[in-house]
Amino acid sequence: MKTSELEKLGFECLQNQFEDVEIAGGYTSDLLSDVMANLAEHQVLITIQAHKNTVAVASLADAAAIVFCHGRKATADVVSAAAQEGIALFSSPDNQYNTTCRVAKFLGA
Amino acid sequence: MKKARIDFHIHSCLSPCASLEMSPRAIAAQAKKLGLDCIALTDHCCAENLPAFHDACREVHLPCLHGMEVCSEEEVHVLCLFDQLDPALEFGRMTYDSLQNFPNNPERFGDQPIVSVEGNILDFAEKLLIGSTSISFFDLVPMALDAGALCIPSHIDRDYYGALAHLGFLPDLPYSAVEVVARSVPEAAAGWPLVRFSDAHCLNHLGRRYTELMVDEFTVPSLYAAFAEQLRTEK
Repeated sequence: MKTSELEKLGFECLQNQFEDVEIAGGYTSDLLSDVMANLAEHQVLITIQAHKNTVAVASLADAAAIVFCHGRKATADVVSAAAQEGIALFSSPDNQYNTTCRVAKFLGA
Repeated sequence: MKKARIDFHIHSCLSPCASLEMSPRAIAAQAKKLGLDCIALTDHCCAENLPAFHDACREVHLPCLHGMEVCSEEEVHVLCLFDQLDPALEFGRMTYDSLQNFPNNPERFGDQPIVSVEGNILDFAEKLLIGSTSISFFDLVPMALDAGALCIPSHIDRDYYGALAHLGFLPDLPYSAVEVVARSVPEAAAGWPLVRFSDAHCLNHLGRRYTELMVDEFTVPSLYAAFAEQLRTEK
């Protein structure tokens, strides 16, 4: 599954300047120190932390995308930081559990 | 006793999220120009720009406190403010040591320069300062108070890095005051003195929020008493 295909899961794309890589699984967490320690390359990060440091932490792992849950949107500074890092941003109307389930199902995990 | 305008939440160029224009001297000059009576430098988990800040404030005869904004294990930000430089440096080294060991990548996040009062770069903080420490919020508050600091949870009403967002509530601990951002006061903050500070990351954010307080001197005991008195008279 490619990054661009996340939109098929009913997620709204908030930032579309990214390299369309093959997604290598996901990581769900709202604690950025935990994300920093455990998110891996080309994974999708599922979180409610919709701020600039989330992008910074995701960029450390070279993540493919971030999905903000509960319909949270990104402010302009978050979008521009993600564009600079080439990290796709999506907004899911669901909570973290259901969002994770949707991604996992699609990835066949 | 006089009414003083205070701003105890300001980041210098050391914080990776702050603008490089935030040299200690520029901060002190701008604060003076804005008519602030006492300011504090509060970089993320690192106190190493405090000596230059101390000198810069002295140059313009501006009273200051020496602080840092510590990120707890639960990612709740807490302002720890000292009226003396040495204990602040000691506390800052302890918090830096307990910070996650993730190196900063200057190309990605910008430099984290430790500067002299003249603005010369002396060194760089190596660890990425936006990380969190391994100190629980519940331990951090008494640790700061025991070290002689004012302890003020930062922006408790913000969506991230605040007590309400990350803990779900404001634990009943003996804070010196609590910082709020919004005009409306969150119910959870009832019972503590409230302060509003700029949380400036660039020069033109200085002065955007401040607190007015009746205080006779800018020491921890006097400020503690002044916060408590303000709460009492507001009731």
